[in-house]
Amino acid sequence: MKLEIGNFFVKKVKFGDVTKFSKGIFTINKEEAIAYVKEDQHITDCDIVITHPGDETRIVPVKEAIEPRAKVGTEEVAFPGVTGSLSQAGLGRTNALKGCSVLAVGKHWGSFGDGLIDMSGEGAKYTMFSQLVNICLVADTDEEFERHNAQKKNKAIRWGAHRLAEFLAKAVENEEPDEVEVFDLGSITKRDPEVEALPSVVYIMQPQSQMEEKGYNVLYYGWDLNQFVPTLVHPNEVMDGAVIGASYMCCSSKFSTYEFQNNPTIKRLYKEHGQTVNFLGVIMSNLNVSLEQKERSIMVASKLAQMVGADGAIIGEEGYGNTDADFIGCIVALEDMGIKTVGMTNECTGSDGKSQPLVTLAEEANAIVSCGNVSQVVELPPMKKVIGELESLGRDGISGGWESDEKLGPSVRPDGSIIMLNDSMFCGDHVCGSSKKTVKEF
Amino acid sequence: MVKTFEKAGFPIVLMCNLIPVATTVGANRIVPTVSIPYPLGNPELSEKEQLDLRYHRVGVALDSLTTDVSEQTVFKVKI
Amino acid sequence: MKKAVLYINQFFAGIGGEEKADHAPEIREGLVGPGLALKTNLKSAEITHTIICGDNFMGSNTEEAIAIINGFLEGIDFDIFFAGPAFQAGRYGVACGTICKHVENTFGVKTITSMHEENPGVEMFKKDTYIFPGGKSAAAMRKDTKKMGILGDKILAGETFLEAEKEGFFVRGIRHQVWREDGVEAADRAVDMLIKKMAGEEFVSELPIPKLDRVPVAPPIKDLSKAKIAVVSSGGIVPVDNPDKIQSSSATRWGRYCIAGEASLKSGVYKTIHGGYDNTVANANPNVVVPIDVLRKYEEEGKIGKLHDYFYATVGTGTAEGEAARMAEEMIPYLKEAGVDAIVQIAT
Repeated sequence: MKLEIGNFFVKKVKFGDVTKFSKGIFTINKEEAIAYVKEDQHITDCDIVITHPGDETRIVPVKEAIEPRAKVGTEEVAFPGVTGSLSQAGLGRTNALKGCSVLAVGKHWGSFGDGLIDMSGEGAKYTMFSQLVNICLVADTDEEFERHNAQKKNKAIRWGAHRLAEFLAKAVENEEPDEVEVFDLGSITKRDPEVEALPSVVYIMQPQSQMEEKGYNVLYYGWDLNQFVPTLVHPNEVMDGAVIGASYMCCSSKFSTYEFQNNPTIKRLYKEHGQTVNFLGVIMSNLNVSLEQKERSIMVASKLAQMVGADGAIIGEEGYGNTDADFIGCIVALEDMGIKTVGMTNECTGSDGKSQPLVTLAEEANAIVSCGNVSQVVELPPMKKVIGELESLGRDGISGGWESDEKLGPSVRPDGSIIMLNDSMFCGDHVCGSSKKTVKEF
Repeated sequence: MVKTFEKAGFPIVLMCNLIPVATTVGANRIVPTVSIPYPLGNPELSEKEQLDLRYHRVGVALDSLTTDVSEQTVFKVKI
Repeated sequence: MKKAVLYINQFFAGIGGEEKADHAPEIREGLVGPGLALKTNLKSAEITHTIICGDNFMGSNTEEAIAIINGFLEGIDFDIFFAGPAFQAGRYGVACGTICKHVENTFGVKTITSMHEENPGVEMFKKDTYIFPGGKSAAAMRKDTKKMGILGDKILAGETFLEAEKEGFFVRGIRHQVWREDGVEAADRAVDMLIKKMAGEEFVSELPIPKLDRVPVAPPIKDLSKAKIAVVSSGGIVPVDNPDKIQSSSATRWGRYCIAGEASLKSGVYKTIHGGYDNTVANANPNVVVPIDVLRKYEEEGKIGKLHDYFYATVGTGTAEGEAARMAEEMIPYLKEAGVDAIVQIAT
């Protein structure tokens, strides 16, 4: 399968009369964009707010991040099965607005899996989204049924943000991109002998699928991963909108849509393909709750790796806690088959750092890349501007924030300063592979 | 103590209430007990019921000694 | 100049050897013994006081020793606390760890010590204080105190993020996230690590899995009906007069008690001395802890060959892992001599 991504490098985003891209500046006609989003009647109120790296801005509650993408020369949508009909992702030409992302932000209401982004200051380093120009869709919806639940599907806001991302990228359909990236990976069994001689590698992704009711979990072409057994997926599909992020996961561990679209592990394996490795492809697994379902997915995923002849596998887990069992279980199953593994995950060592980092451990898991520690307490000063609603951090059940605490006080203080856990820094541990953090012994 | 005995070659079964502790301690054959102050008794039951319980669980423990296990195993009890 | 306190034992204070190990704690102004070596490498603090305590006094009267030393410390100002180095001396290492842990918890002052990696104090206290890997004997005094001093200066300078890997102290099991200086992202680290692993090359995992101490499974008994079974209990069931004077907690003693010909353990003949649980039920019927009654039944029925004439008992609460292992080692010759084939151990 061959995919071409036409990259348009966006340095600045502003509002104007015509939605267009020119010399690094992307202009948005705000009314048109809002009208487009409001075609979904569940959105009762929305605004688009732009913020650039370096702004003294704090954004919370952030529910999703999407890179603006649109297919070129076809009716197909950027997120098949989600924003429109099914089509095969990972082929043809897709345009991408680089250097920016559309964020789904709640006007008021936060939920368990939402996160926070500081665009400057001490807090900026906790998430790489502080380095993108963020086009924030700040919305309120008619989803009364979940208004006061900590667990929210956030469907209207998330779909609105995915649609907006596509709408914006459509504006450059007829423009020449600044560069074209080509991702070409052919059939597994029909590769050149020099490539076949290299060690074969699969990337096994374990995205979140803990919720048993539909509407919360990661979707593959619109299909809920809770009702799923692992399958072979072409890396181009992951990078071209076949997979969208969930509304559930403690945010620093989240695989955002943006990070599926820009998965750095896939990109690096592509780079190495034909040079040091034979990149076979992706095995998309999941993370269900019950022991039997975990065992089933581990069994199927590891067998797939064996069937395609993998010598090595990188396993990426979207989560911590009970999902460590899937992570470690998969590693053990693969090692038992003689397939060498490297696991990529974050840890939960407690605020004093002394807790066991993963819920289960095994000697076979001897090669782990650690992306961060969800338990770190983070204290940050007030920011001049808040996009969204600051109180949501302490009020609405965001996993890394709280209403009150005997030792630490409330997450949101009257002066606008905050205290929270790294757990809710938006995609903060970048477990898809962008994390520049690690965890060390002290 | 369990590991010391097993290292010396004695098949050993640990009857224990806190299973995660048993596994951490390194016991390979484990049988659950009723509680800490009365591992093989229960003041809420009659004398006969307690005797039956004790007989059953010790029986499971004895059988575990004849069972080949490849890893830490918790043997199930019925009463 | 900040202020430091050093804790040492009777030997390094020049008071005496084994015969003076019961030396009660005392505090002296200024430097004594190893303090001189430490002073050379501790630039930002003056060692104002030295606390001396006999290893046996600390070991056998720990609470009292801590209370006395606590009293000394309350009367003085100090910014940092050192102990040892203890090299391979086990009791000394444990003493250093004990007092350092207390000082950290009570005074909130950072503590540093040093001992050889095989010193039991390492496993026991590495989470509670900074322990440097030390030499086997006092020949390493200079080297060991140097490490202690260097870290001391860093702590006094306000450095908080001190990595075990960089500074050299024993891994404490305290893990925090850091931003990598080299800025290399996880995907690159993972791919590089995998390429090395597949090639059989060395790599370093970012999350070391602690070594799980597993014992190979002893092979099962082939014929239970011919086997001799022994019972071991940590539930503290002993004859009513506790002839072996087993302690109710933190036991270091054990006993073996003859039950030949007895159909069960009778209340009033046996009792429990275990301090860690409510003894009522066990005293009324010791068989709930040591099930001699049903084992005797199984023996009569022929399910087992023979019930060993003795059961072995100690108290499990507070008992150090090392002590328990030692007691088991001592029981083994008796079990072997009696031809015991398998053991049922009941925990409480």
